[in-house]
Amino acid sequence: MPIQHIKVLRNGTDEEELKVVETTGLPTWDADTKFTVVGRPQSRLEGLEKVTGRARYSYDVRLSGQLYAAVLRSPYPHARIRHIDTTKAEQLPGVHAILSSANAPDDITWYEEKSKLFDKTLRFIGDEVAAVAAESEEFAQDALRLIEVAYEPLPFVIEVEAALQPDAPRVHDKGNRVDEPTIYERGNAAAGLREADVVIEQTYTTQTAVHNSLEPHGCTAFWEGDQLTLWESTQGIFETREQVAEKLGLPEHHVRVVKEHMGGGFGSKQVPWKQTVIAALLSKQSGHPVQLMLDREAENLAAGNRNATVQRVRLGAKRDGTLTAILADIQVVVGAYMVGGEASEVNGMYERLYRCPNVRTEQIGVYINAGPCVAFRAPGHVEAAFALEAAMDELARALQLDPLTLRNRNYSEIDQKKEKPLSMPNALQVCYERATAAFGWQTYQRPAPTGPKRRGIGIAAHEWGGSGQPPAYAWIKLNGDGTVDVVTGTQDIGTGARTGLAQVAAEVLGLPIEQISVHLGDTAKGPYSPTSAGSSTQASVGPAVFAAAVEAKRQLLEVAAKLLEEEPERLEIRDGVVMVEGEPENKLTVAEVTGRLAPHMIIGQGARGPNAKDKTIRTFGAQCVEVEVDVETGEITVLRVVAAHDCGRIINPTMVDSQVFGGITQGVGFALTEERIVDEKRGLVLNANLEEYKIPTVADIPQMTNVPVNLPDLAANPTGVKGIGEPPLVPTAPAIANAVFDAIGVRLRHAPLSRRQLLAALATQAESIDKSAPPHTQEGQS
Amino acid sequence: MRPFDYVRTTTLDETCQLLGQDGDSSVRALAGGTDLLTLMKKEISVPTQLIDLKRLPDLPSGITSTAQGMTIGTLTTMTEIETNVQLQEKYPLLAEAAAVAATPQLRNMATIGGNLLQRPRCWYYRNQLVNCWLKGGDECQAQDGENQLHALFGGGPCYAVHPSDLAPALLALEATVQLRGPGGERMVPLAEFYALPEEKRRQETQLEKDELLLNIHLPGLPAGTRSTYLKAMDRKVWAFALVGVAAIVRLEEQKIVDARLVLSGVAPIPWRVTAAEQALVGATANEATFAEIAEFALADAQSLSHNAYKITLAKSLVRRALTMLTDEG
Amino acid sequence: MSSKRLLTTLAINGIEHELALEPRRTLLDALRHDLQLTGTKKVCDMGDCGACTVLVDGRAMYACLLLAVDCTDRQITTIEGLAQADELDPLQQAFIEADAFQCGFCTAGQIMSLKGLLNETPAPNDDQILRAVTGNLCRCGAYRNILKAGRLAADQVAHPEEARHADSTH
Repeated sequence: MPIQHIKVLRNGTDEEELKVVETTGLPTWDADTKFTVVGRPQSRLEGLEKVTGRARYSYDVRLSGQLYAAVLRSPYPHARIRHIDTTKAEQLPGVHAILSSANAPDDITWYEEKSKLFDKTLRFIGDEVAAVAAESEEFAQDALRLIEVAYEPLPFVIEVEAALQPDAPRVHDKGNRVDEPTIYERGNAAAGLREADVVIEQTYTTQTAVHNSLEPHGCTAFWEGDQLTLWESTQGIFETREQVAEKLGLPEHHVRVVKEHMGGGFGSKQVPWKQTVIAALLSKQSGHPVQLMLDREAENLAAGNRNATVQRVRLGAKRDGTLTAILADIQVVVGAYMVGGEASEVNGMYERLYRCPNVRTEQIGVYINAGPCVAFRAPGHVEAAFALEAAMDELARALQLDPLTLRNRNYSEIDQKKEKPLSMPNALQVCYERATAAFGWQTYQRPAPTGPKRRGIGIAAHEWGGSGQPPAYAWIKLNGDGTVDVVTGTQDIGTGARTGLAQVAAEVLGLPIEQISVHLGDTAKGPYSPTSAGSSTQASVGPAVFAAAVEAKRQLLEVAAKLLEEEPERLEIRDGVVMVEGEPENKLTVAEVTGRLAPHMIIGQGARGPNAKDKTIRTFGAQCVEVEVDVETGEITVLRVVAAHDCGRIINPTMVDSQVFGGITQGVGFALTEERIVDEKRGLVLNANLEEYKIPTVADIPQMTNVPVNLPDLAANPTGVKGIGEPPLVPTAPAIANAVFDAIGVRLRHAPLSRRQLLAALATQAESIDKSAPPHTQEGQS
Repeated sequence: MRPFDYVRTTTLDETCQLLGQDGDSSVRALAGGTDLLTLMKKEISVPTQLIDLKRLPDLPSGITSTAQGMTIGTLTTMTEIETNVQLQEKYPLLAEAAAVAATPQLRNMATIGGNLLQRPRCWYYRNQLVNCWLKGGDECQAQDGENQLHALFGGGPCYAVHPSDLAPALLALEATVQLRGPGGERMVPLAEFYALPEEKRRQETQLEKDELLLNIHLPGLPAGTRSTYLKAMDRKVWAFALVGVAAIVRLEEQKIVDARLVLSGVAPIPWRVTAAEQALVGATANEATFAEIAEFALADAQSLSHNAYKITLAKSLVRRALTMLTDEG
Repeated sequence: MSSKRLLTTLAINGIEHELALEPRRTLLDALRHDLQLTGTKKVCDMGDCGACTVLVDGRAMYACLLLAVDCTDRQITTIEGLAQADELDPLQQAFIEADAFQCGFCTAGQIMSLKGLLNETPAPNDDQILRAVTGNLCRCGAYRNILKAGRLAADQVAHPEEARHADSTH
């Protein structure tokens, strides 16, 4: 057997000890491997369901006797519930169950035990006060209006600087700092600054952005005896099962979590939220299935967001561009609670992206009385890139260097934090080369201004994880007719994981993809796979499917060898046919082999093995952007984006393109229009909707090119795959901001780059031009 | 939404009577529903009864030519206005305004009557947790709050801006609305129909509770008149105007002989800048004139803490519109 | 608390359904709850996203801003009514081919908007295709491929033979 399972299970915190699977003897897909399915465009396997409306999302579950739940939410940013009376609501016909702090279990806690399921202290507008299950969505809303609550409003704080004042209203008893600052230093950053010929010091801010997945958070819960089933809109069925079982005191095998299709998550559905347990309890209380889906307002208020940041950045460099120091003081505005356990790692990119001996970062999380943040597609990195990549651009201008030259001059081939080599030391260089070549960076000729319109170009880079890791498991079942069921407990959150996994299985087994079905999204039907987060599904689960398929193929060839009276080593499968090397006549179809075996079944089990220990595995990318700025109206038009992203081996170019275009699109929104607006005096969220929270429309997208970067990374896993889900969003916004500067000589340091900000900056620029200061020297060194 | 009854009526008299009935019941008329239903979902409007206007036989729909100009029936959809060939020829700014308003779906649903009567999108007004002045409360929270989208003109006690793109275009055309109440019909120039909300009339129009809007009458324009509607939005499409400009100009030998300028997105009602219009008449069409006129048009603008950028934006759009309309090419 | 239900006949995808509905029930909720036609999605419920787009008398509209009782004498088409027997509508086929969706939650609305366009404009230009979906948000950012799918389908409708030939060669 080539695969040995289980070395050490959950033993302490030592990373090495946590590797639970050892795989040896697996073949690898190296750079010379010839493929028939992998690397080719393949449309989504669930396409038919999605275009016909048959795909069943959690929101679409319709069970006999199903009730609909609605949640009463705090109207105050900070308040105490003095009294709650649900009597009138209970008496309303059609109402079956009501939960609030008056009757809900008192021992279920949430948000790092800082809140109960229904807490009497409310810390943001949208915090859960009560929930009702009724025979229709309308009845549930009627019932909410009849719940009488006496609130005691408490002092609140929204603005980060105010929250850090000693006398600020306290979001939590211990104050508004999440923890002690996280400090990282290598070398001597202060000395590095002193060594520098040029220093850039600027403060950048990024906004609170809201995921606004089109399918809201929520689930349909029902009990059969003591068995709970949850149709949950989640990125992690096993994570949800574990948490719900723990909160409700149920054994894990009594909880089943199902998620066939999901209408977007982008990180916000990687943890279970209160409503899941609320739905389960309402279902228990009423004896009916209960569907609890958030409405759009609640989705904006209470289901996570990308934390706003304030980043004070200092860069020091020698005259030739060599970095001598990188310093960043970072405030991360986490909202009223920590959801995922830790704030976004904004500091990481400062520590890794550029070669620099002297680096210091200090990051603190700050509580405010607004909805909690949670991971949002490349959390931390999107925020960090907006500041760091703009600061690098400012440095390049100050040094009169091309921004690309500056980046190449400070290229790091190693992981400076861990002092280990990178598995693909030149991956970022390849990205720079391909993106700039396809864009025409070096040869760009700025068109002459037409009227008030100015053009400019910008570049930005990123780095991210996405290596994938254990544990993840998969089964491959070969049916009597030669078809294959791939079973794994992962999720397809819209990324195309289902299709990519089928391609891996088809390739190993030498079968056309039509003969493969992938079954996922059900804790009762498949083995454990991790939460779909960190751009790791194809890189974590793909290798498990690969290992399972290798094992199934081994068994299949053993049987075929007996039937063909040959040695298994001489057999190969192509296009569903088992062939003997050099003997074209001596062959059997896979269906003939499995047919002879049926009803006995070949089952391959696969586990995801560990990553290489001696190397650091990261993903990289670069984007070049051209914008047009109308200096009279402040309108920014993103004309084109050329992207090159290292994601290891490309399994399905169609899905990779779609991830890249989707990431760029979200990046355009982050750069230009998306921002949660809060009235700081009143604590009110003013745009908890899709009208004034403006995500890009079809008319807002630029022309986009994705230049494939196909660099199999065998340090990551035998398939050479790394993730692509999150990274494409990272460089877009800073590249746009840099291009805007290139176009008009105005630096915008606050995301999003609103007209308000741009027109104000242009007015300031005009004033300083009036005072005859050349526009390009007022920027840069300061 | 809270529960309500839904009724159909057969005559205008019956409809007006129902709308005006006293007592607790709040009766509202439903046409396209694209604004009313959103108000009801947020409980800003809580009618106990809705009257379906769409099947009311005497309520006019469609676009017709008249001796003087054209008439648009209240039930005419935005799509019809956008695509009507005669309107496009005679009043291009109207078709342009329709084309940049909302979305194809909303334009298929929404009627011109409803568009003119729609309520502000102010995020305090639309927030269920806020009892703003316009909803009967004591204060306008935008005045010292997040007012980046709010009024430069006519603000106080309400600083919301009127959301319609069609209304400024129609105001520039000096349209008249034909209203029908229990006592009969009246004709009101749009310039009077829109009136800044006041203590006892916390709405943007002079429409009485028991009145229906029947028709919009457009006077003819002299040959050679040119018009346009320009709109600045946060996105390329599907947003309410940050600032819009409806402009009409007639030129004779490089001299402006007629000019009308109405701004949208800057006041609780569509905002005609009459003084700037008068200054334009007789002036020579060139960039210097337009820059001066733009300054003049915005001279009385009073910015709040976050909306000064709209002054710059409005000036730019005024200049641009005038340049476009007087460009010989 | 609830108001009087009205007996309402809805013609959905060519079939008449008689339902007793509260007047406040939107067409969207009637489809999703009373008829279990869940292909039409509820996202914002305020006319801000387009996910609930259906055809009413052939024209694209938001089902969340229509009262079901207000749709009595109108012909409604939903995503479930597009495919004829087992044959997909050219738009549905094109969406699969062009990878015009990721999570799929806006897809029904996008397809119905384009269907509304093709009903009235059988040979649209690229700008018309873009304008037809300006009222449909896609959070995954599949817009580019949605436009591509619109183009593919329009060509397929206009020249079925050529389009099919082009398909088989790629």
